[in-house]
Amino acid sequence: MISLLAFARFEVGRLLRSWKFLVVTVGFPVVFYMLFLGDHSPGKVIDGAVPWRAYLLVSMCSFGALVASLTAGGARLSSERASGWARQLRVTPIPAWSYLVTKVTATMLVVLPVLVLVEAVGVGFGGVNLAPSMWFELAGLLWLGALPFAFLGVFIGFLVHAETAFPVVTALMFALGYFGGLFAPVASMPHALQVVAHTLPSFHNTALGIALLAGQSLSVVHWMVLLGYGVVLGLLLLMLHRREESRGLA
Amino acid sequence: MLAAAESDRQGHDKWQTGFGRDLAFSFQEVTLRYGQRVALDQLDIAVGQGETVALLGPNGAGKSTTISLLLGLLRPDTGKLRVLGTSPRRAVAQGRVGAMLQTGSGTGLPPGVRVETVLRLVHRLYRRPATFEATVDLAGISTLLDRQTHRLSGGQAQRVRFAIAIAGDPELVFLDEPTAAMDVSGRRAFWEMIRLYGEEGRTIVFATHHLEEADQNADRVIVINHGRVVADGPGATLKAAVVARRVRFVCDAPDRKLLDSLEGVTDVKVRGTGVVVDSLDADATVAALVHNRVPFKDLEVTGAGLEDAFIALTRPDSAQGPQGQ
Repeated sequence: MISLLAFARFEVGRLLRSWKFLVVTVGFPVVFYMLFLGDHSPGKVIDGAVPWRAYLLVSMCSFGALVASLTAGGARLSSERASGWARQLRVTPIPAWSYLVTKVTATMLVVLPVLVLVEAVGVGFGGVNLAPSMWFELAGLLWLGALPFAFLGVFIGFLVHAETAFPVVTALMFALGYFGGLFAPVASMPHALQVVAHTLPSFHNTALGIALLAGQSLSVVHWMVLLGYGVVLGLLLLMLHRREESRGLA
Repeated sequence: MLAAAESDRQGHDKWQTGFGRDLAFSFQEVTLRYGQRVALDQLDIAVGQGETVALLGPNGAGKSTTISLLLGLLRPDTGKLRVLGTSPRRAVAQGRVGAMLQTGSGTGLPPGVRVETVLRLVHRLYRRPATFEATVDLAGISTLLDRQTHRLSGGQAQRVRFAIAIAGDPELVFLDEPTAAMDVSGRRAFWEMIRLYGEEGRTIVFATHHLEEADQNADRVIVINHGRVVADGPGATLKAAVVARRVRFVCDAPDRKLLDSLEGVTDVKVRGTGVVVDSLDADATVAALVHNRVPFKDLEVTGAGLEDAFIALTRPDSAQGPQGQ
């Protein structure tokens, strides 16, 4: 147990000490926040629920969580596996599953500070005013809803080769961002795209945050979809890990 | 034949009579296939604790596969495999085994951290590790601790990976082509380090395709080719077992058939008037040359090097090997 904690701490420390990682994961949502803020009047109310500046804050938090998950899990994991380090760990006493669990845990742990940093920018640049308790609730809610992202990131890291990981991660990041309505309100999209949006975890993650800010009840549908993605990706990840292990690769 | 087969048989007896405690590991008729290709074919090996053993063979012979099986990274299709009296996975989980694996183009280290951070982590993964200082001293990496892992040279990275392999104070250490990225002086220093480490009663198994490396640094050389053990014994025995002597001479009209039939001869090469004969018994061969009135000049008898032994053993048409299977 002590060894697993040491391993998790090592992983988180490594991520947070990486400038590249922080610049990408915090930089993207922050720059986009400032860019997209001008797309609508900041005070314009979206979907009759929250002002644009608050809507965008929530969606950029989701986007930050997505970018952090895909970068920490996907691209970095893929190149780390190519380096032979993952294999080296397999010949230490820690069990095979601990690599997987630690990767997901570490990814989740770095999503949290990213959420807080993007929130801080929302206060500073967007002038979003929320009760202090609301900031905590929002971060906590989006964090829980980011678990499917973390699974997705680690899954990509296991599935994709180091050379192709970067374009795959980038494409996924923007596809999930754009079609999930993170860059523009879903209500302003054509109908077909709205249907697509409702199938994506990025949409449902953001929707939870919006509902919280609007004081609406958190729809079970959002939770169910996120849970569904979590379960399916988790199972796929286990299958992939088991297959690699039987080939002596994991 | 000879000592090679002898030691193999002893290993077997130990295995079968249950003195398994003395064995670092044993293979009994282990077969492993990658799809259609047979990587290991009914492999039998027994290695006692405290031995330093070289697995020698060309690329693709099955050396890395053998090590992967011993580490529990792969499972055999058929056959039995014991490591330190238990299964490979248990031995690894108990922290009694250390390994330096082949990493291809990668460093084998996580990028973006200091060497010290990685090494301290690895120590924490073991229940009874060596002390951090002892590991650093032994691997000679005290000057590398502050370096970022991705800024190490190939040779430096290999030293760090050796430190990782011994961090858990293992009884049994596997080194898969450990000196691949090292220069000559680096190699010498590395093997000196291994020799000291082996003197502490540990079992060391290394894979290599450098003949000299195997000969100079192992108590015992196991030659593997096409997934089979083709020879097993001390380096000197292997040399003796394969091509004991090479007889060269000049002869105006060499009669190949006659030469081939002489006592002890295993191979005849004729180039113009130059003749090279490999013989298992040079004395008898030379006597036979005289007896048959072969008009030879400039006769010379030399010992064949391990290199020749190796080539003879791993040649496709010599699948028999010195064990006479």
